[in-house]
Amino acid sequence: MADRHGMVNPGIFEDLQARVDQDTTVRDELKEIIQTLEKQIRTAQSILSRAHSTPTAELPSVVTAAQDAIRHEIDSIKKLAEATAGQPYYKWNGIWTRQMQDATFNVLFCGWLGGFAAGQESKPGRLLTIEETGGIMGVPVNLKDRDAFHLTIEEYLHALISLVDELARLARNSVTLGDYRRPLQISQFIKDLHAGFQILNLKNDALRRRTDGMKYRVKEVEDVVYDLSLRNLVPTD
Amino acid sequence: MDHSNPPPSSPFIPMFEAFRAELDEHQDRRERVIKASRDITAASKKIIFSLQRVRKLNAPIPESITRSTAPHWQVIRERFSTISADLQSINGWRYARNITGGIQEFMESLSFQYYLEKQQLITFDNAQGMLKELGGEGRPVELTADDYVLGVFDMVGELMRFAITAMATSGGLPGGESRATAAPRNVLSDLRELRTCLEMLDIPPGPPFPRDVDKKMEVMKTCVEKVENGLYGLVVRGRERPKGWMPDLEGRKEEIESF
Repeated sequence: MADRHGMVNPGIFEDLQARVDQDTTVRDELKEIIQTLEKQIRTAQSILSRAHSTPTAELPSVVTAAQDAIRHEIDSIKKLAEATAGQPYYKWNGIWTRQMQDATFNVLFCGWLGGFAAGQESKPGRLLTIEETGGIMGVPVNLKDRDAFHLTIEEYLHALISLVDELARLARNSVTLGDYRRPLQISQFIKDLHAGFQILNLKNDALRRRTDGMKYRVKEVEDVVYDLSLRNLVPTD
Repeated sequence: MDHSNPPPSSPFIPMFEAFRAELDEHQDRRERVIKASRDITAASKKIIFSLQRVRKLNAPIPESITRSTAPHWQVIRERFSTISADLQSINGWRYARNITGGIQEFMESLSFQYYLEKQQLITFDNAQGMLKELGGEGRPVELTADDYVLGVFDMVGELMRFAITAMATSGGLPGGESRATAAPRNVLSDLRELRTCLEMLDIPPGPPFPRDVDKKMEVMKTCVEKVENGLYGLVVRGRERPKGWMPDLEGRKEEIESF
């Protein structure tokens, strides 16, 4: 037996090659979906960017357009989940985690602007929880008891930091648009988020580095509020 | 303007407390897995070290050597059996990058011992079965095809060392002596066959497995060539070889000077 087989049973490497080929097929399929998703993220992003130049009163039209764009993202995310159904989630999630963060950020920002109100009164300043975000995106969150596609806590936290960055920009642009109330709202909101991040025990990774940068955003917005209060522009009511 | 003290009244604190608990749990598990991986790596290295004292191929490992490897196999068994709880279901792949070092080293010692005993490459299914058994209480540890391949790459280095030592001490390549039928096989022909198989694997680029393979591919080729060079030295100088003479592994520069 041993002599006939030689050193290597030929079945071994045939089987290994088949496994590699299978993975390649999945990876190619995922890459294609991710390319589409990236395009959809950029589209939604460009619509959401209009918030920086749109007066608060006209914001609902931006929010509606953004929601529609985000629905396309959600379609692609569903395809990612389908393409890897039955496969180990963490074998693949490195491929799309960046796009999941960006898509999640779009949902969070749109939600903050008043989108995804789900029957409630649409008002800006709302933080969508990870559960609400997962519900909107049609995916489970923080899965531990079974192996399937989901939104991770880390991805949600990354999206939160992106939201803080975006809101710091929006605070300044609100002033330009003549809205002196929103910077106060943003200031409180990101201070509260910053306080939340402070209690996490983060290790030295990308999330930690980005979290460390949050305090600068907090300060930027405080400076805006300070500028307004110095000139008696802060609305009192 | 005081932003050093976050307001304790943040409405998001309960949400972040839940995140903190989850992240801490993840971090603790990650550290346990890394620790186990290190212990398994260390024990596997010791086993390989002992196995390098084997001189006879295709025969049971001598008792003097199994006596010294047994406690290390025991450590490996114990570490896999305790850590397997942290590697179940979704966590198997989540911590794959943290346990891969230990599993590769385990694969290296397992396949090396298997080769010494049977003069064959252990199959993936066989290796997977062995690892599964080591998991505690019905919680098997999965051997991925990636770790199997990377472990086999590392084993080539051990075969190289084994062959060189054998050439130095006995003046020939082990293996193939007792085979009347078929072409005789020795360590070098086995290495060449393995090299061909590994080189034939068609792995498209993309992180992280292909990167690891690329790195190990070069080392593997060098190992095979070291044995070839060693054998060349042995053949060229033939019986003039004084006892204890070691084939030169880095080319023949020195020989040229001394002749």
